[in-house]
Amino acid sequence: MSADRVTIVEENLDRLLAELPEPDRILAPEEPLRPGSSLTAARARNLFEDMLLSRTLDIAARALKAKGEGFYTISSAGHELNATVGALLRPTDPCLLHYRSGALFASRLRQLPGSTPTWDTLLSLTASAEDPASGGRHKVWGSRAAWIPPQTSTIASHLPKAVGMAFALGRARRLEVEAGLGPLSDLPQDAVVMCSFGDASSNHATALAGINAARYAKRKGNPVPILFVCEDNQRGISVETPSRWVQDTWDSRRHLNFFDAVGEIDQVWDTVELAIRTCRQQRGPVFLRIETIRLWGHAGSDVETAYRTLDDIEATEARDPILAAARRLVATGAATPAQLRQILASTRARVTAAMPEATQRPKLTDPAKIVQPLAPNEPERWKAAATQALPEDARRAVFGRRLPEEEQSSTRRTLAARINQALHDEMLRHPEMILFGEDVGRKGGVYGLSQRLQERFGQARCFDTLLDETTILGVAQGAAQVGLLPVPEIQYLAYLHNAIDQLRGEACSTAYFSNGAFTNPMVVRIAGLAYQKGFGGHFHNDNSIGALREIPGLAMACPSRGADAARMLRGAMAMAAESKRVVAFLEPIALYHERDLYEAGDEGWLSDYPAPDGSADSALLPGEVGVHQPDAGDLLIVSYANGYRLSLRAARAWEEATGKRARVVDLRWLNPLPHEAVRAHAAECGRVLVVDECRATGAGIADALIADLAEHGFAGRIKSVRGMDAYIPLADAANLVLVGEEQIRAGIEEVMA
Amino acid sequence: MSRVVLVLPGRGSYTERTMRQLPAEHPWVQEAEALRAKLGLEPLLELDRAERFSPARHLRPAHVSPLIYLRTMLDVERVRREYEVVAIVGNSMGWYTALAAGGALSFEDGFRLVQQMSMLQEEHGSDGGQIVYPLVGEDWKRIPERESAVEAVVREQAGELFHSIHLGGQAVLAGSRAGLNAATEALESVQQGRITYPLRLAQHGPYHTPLVDATAMAARTFAADLVFRQPEIELIDGLGRRHTPWGAELEALRDYTFGAQIVGTYDFTRSVEVALCEHAPEHLVATGPGNTLGGICGQILIGLHWRGIDSKDAFLAAQDGDTPPLISLDR
Repeated sequence: MSADRVTIVEENLDRLLAELPEPDRILAPEEPLRPGSSLTAARARNLFEDMLLSRTLDIAARALKAKGEGFYTISSAGHELNATVGALLRPTDPCLLHYRSGALFASRLRQLPGSTPTWDTLLSLTASAEDPASGGRHKVWGSRAAWIPPQTSTIASHLPKAVGMAFALGRARRLEVEAGLGPLSDLPQDAVVMCSFGDASSNHATALAGINAARYAKRKGNPVPILFVCEDNQRGISVETPSRWVQDTWDSRRHLNFFDAVGEIDQVWDTVELAIRTCRQQRGPVFLRIETIRLWGHAGSDVETAYRTLDDIEATEARDPILAAARRLVATGAATPAQLRQILASTRARVTAAMPEATQRPKLTDPAKIVQPLAPNEPERWKAAATQALPEDARRAVFGRRLPEEEQSSTRRTLAARINQALHDEMLRHPEMILFGEDVGRKGGVYGLSQRLQERFGQARCFDTLLDETTILGVAQGAAQVGLLPVPEIQYLAYLHNAIDQLRGEACSTAYFSNGAFTNPMVVRIAGLAYQKGFGGHFHNDNSIGALREIPGLAMACPSRGADAARMLRGAMAMAAESKRVVAFLEPIALYHERDLYEAGDEGWLSDYPAPDGSADSALLPGEVGVHQPDAGDLLIVSYANGYRLSLRAARAWEEATGKRARVVDLRWLNPLPHEAVRAHAAECGRVLVVDECRATGAGIADALIADLAEHGFAGRIKSVRGMDAYIPLADAANLVLVGEEQIRAGIEEVMA
Repeated sequence: MSRVVLVLPGRGSYTERTMRQLPAEHPWVQEAEALRAKLGLEPLLELDRAERFSPARHLRPAHVSPLIYLRTMLDVERVRREYEVVAIVGNSMGWYTALAAGGALSFEDGFRLVQQMSMLQEEHGSDGGQIVYPLVGEDWKRIPERESAVEAVVREQAGELFHSIHLGGQAVLAGSRAGLNAATEALESVQQGRITYPLRLAQHGPYHTPLVDATAMAARTFAADLVFRQPEIELIDGLGRRHTPWGAELEALRDYTFGAQIVGTYDFTRSVEVALCEHAPEHLVATGPGNTLGGICGQILIGLHWRGIDSKDAFLAAQDGDTPPLISLDR
């Protein structure tokens, strides 16, 4: 049925163009369609071509699909008035587009001489490796030259980063001036950021979070030039949007300008122009609703008659914006019917001829090439960058009287203090680094990790955000895309799960789906894991990292000791700065202020600060494990974080009891796991105990380590102890579901039996 | 009718071999001669039918440019009868011809533009010029070392040496005498056939660079007389911008012609790529005089791997097939 409707819609247009009467008067190319409008006859005809190109490519997508040569049929048909936005925004206004943006893409690329929107779209539809948007990985709208970072989101999850980018434009400018940096991006000072989405998507939590964050930022006095474009076709797949829902929700909201683009093409043009001008001049959020319709169902596979009557479908088709534009262009004298027929014939001929050429273009055939942009692995570069010595005078200016390596007091030698000191050094090393999150500014973090950073590096570089993890990660992505090096803080691991799609679906996919054209390097600091002596309950003791470990391309560090943390942070920052990686830096809360290892008062958990002195071991990279008692060989215990400390204690007790000695490895990096190192130590020790403090079922690293050993032929005994599959309860009950020293001892006995 | 893209040549195309092809009785030839007479310039037919080809005489910009224009326009007339021309590209001065061939200028205005520009080029002649250097071997394979060497010398000689034309597998550089000397010294000498590169182009100025800004300024003063019209056929300029019959903005056409076209790099390669990608024509049709752009187009097709053409041999094989990608009218 949908194919028939395609033909009917095409015939409607052909019939109209055959029947339209000649205009009374023909406008000169530079004459406006009506007095006061900036839409001239020539621009209107170009716009009409862009709309037709989009429509024709939508039809091509279906034809290609039918032949097994095309792989995406969600179309822009009925949304073509978004071409006005593409024509009116500048190519230096970043656009984060949803999937019905074909006409916008065409009109925007028209502004860039030498661009080839027809060809690019066909390559994308046919998943060619030459597709300039994603290299054949997805049908997305993207172009580095036109500042269109490709978005795969169908759930408005791109709004938070669009807002982040709008916010970061001003912040980047401030740093350029204050820190005397060169330009951090090629965007001009008065750029605005645009993101588009449908009426149904405007209900997504991420859309609400994004718009809320923009209004909040505006209320706080921050420039946030974001243009939200809601293309309202009054339907989400089969479900009708209540009448006026978008207007009722977003009109008349404080700290948000609302514009409703309805009517003839020139009226829509003028409203869009005003909305953009308002956004650009006021540097504040603007919500622009464009009234659209949806033709031919949600996608090629969606049978619309299952939920709509034929009358309804026909009534919608009668409102086809291309028919309306044709009528208006002829009525105003902006075009003759013959001109419009010429545009249509030319466009159809172009697309028809280019289609078979595009299908011949090469496809992705090499798995290594497919994943290539995902996680660039350049350890030598990282090591070189991370171990660059920092000048002492600059460090003294930052730290004052005593450098961290000169600190004697035990409170200044904990894990928390070492991370704080390392952050100071990294802020010094990377003048484009910004650190933000909840309570990180004046308070200096819930656990004091960011103390004095704001005071020393200024509010532009260390600042508090509103209480929303989705927004925090959105700001990080947007900031990274305009050249900053963000270090967002997630206050507790459990809070991350609320927002994790910002890492999984968005940040970690950016380089992949743009074939490396866009990146968003960052180091996400996350305070997490359990063992807070029964205090705080589940949300402050979350011990599930499985959701992070399965994200393609995401690296994860998890230090247990202060000196390691400083060296690992340098490594993580270098991975982000040099290879544009996204790195999660998971900090075990319970060890932040721990001083002792074996006995109360032994201060065995304090550490000396590794000075950034240029030495090769002043930074640590994935694969570099920590080894306790490398000469021991009766048993290998593999662990991390709290589990590592507990393992050291259990190993000593075992040694005291039996005289046998365990080698204990601290993994340090949980993604990628240091399999090679573990295999080598396992081979030398013969027996392996994995101590995984996370939940037993897939929440930690035990499964992966044991599977790897087994697959690589390790023949010795293997055993693991893990946390129970439970949320962490309060008080002493917490210890009953977590791995404790006793379980580790029992595990040792079992694996040695 | 086959859908084709017309490719119009630039200044190096009129040679001894292309002489004696102007039909004296053709109205355009007569119109051109009348315009030449008004300017007190030697008749084109005399030049065209001279007993011998004299580079000093024939290759003077004020002589060779209108000869090329006329000869190209006559070919265009023929092609438009035989093919559906969906777009026109031109190389360098071929852009002026394209304006007339596509109907954006009348024949007469096109002629005046070509004639005037060539005279201005003589008048504002500087000590600079153009050199050509192959970025491909005789097998048309890219040689990355040559590209790097060209990039390096252009970078080093900033302000004195520029990319003038991106011309398929050839780099056309232009600059001051100092810039050209530096390039000639820096670029390794290459022998292809009887020609040694870098090759200095006779009687060519530093076109498509800021060094001819004075020419652009002077051109704008006489340009006011030219009547730009909506083109009948799409034109693709040296930035790769499409100017369509319905959407061309005449001011933009004029601004480009007397601005970026003169003082900015002419990206002929991109213009052909846009024509191929956005129109997917059955053939490119290269008009005369000569076939200077035949190999260049072949190299551009290889660069795009158009229809699987990935080498000179593949191009030559495709040329022998049923649908040759390139038809050269004056081989």
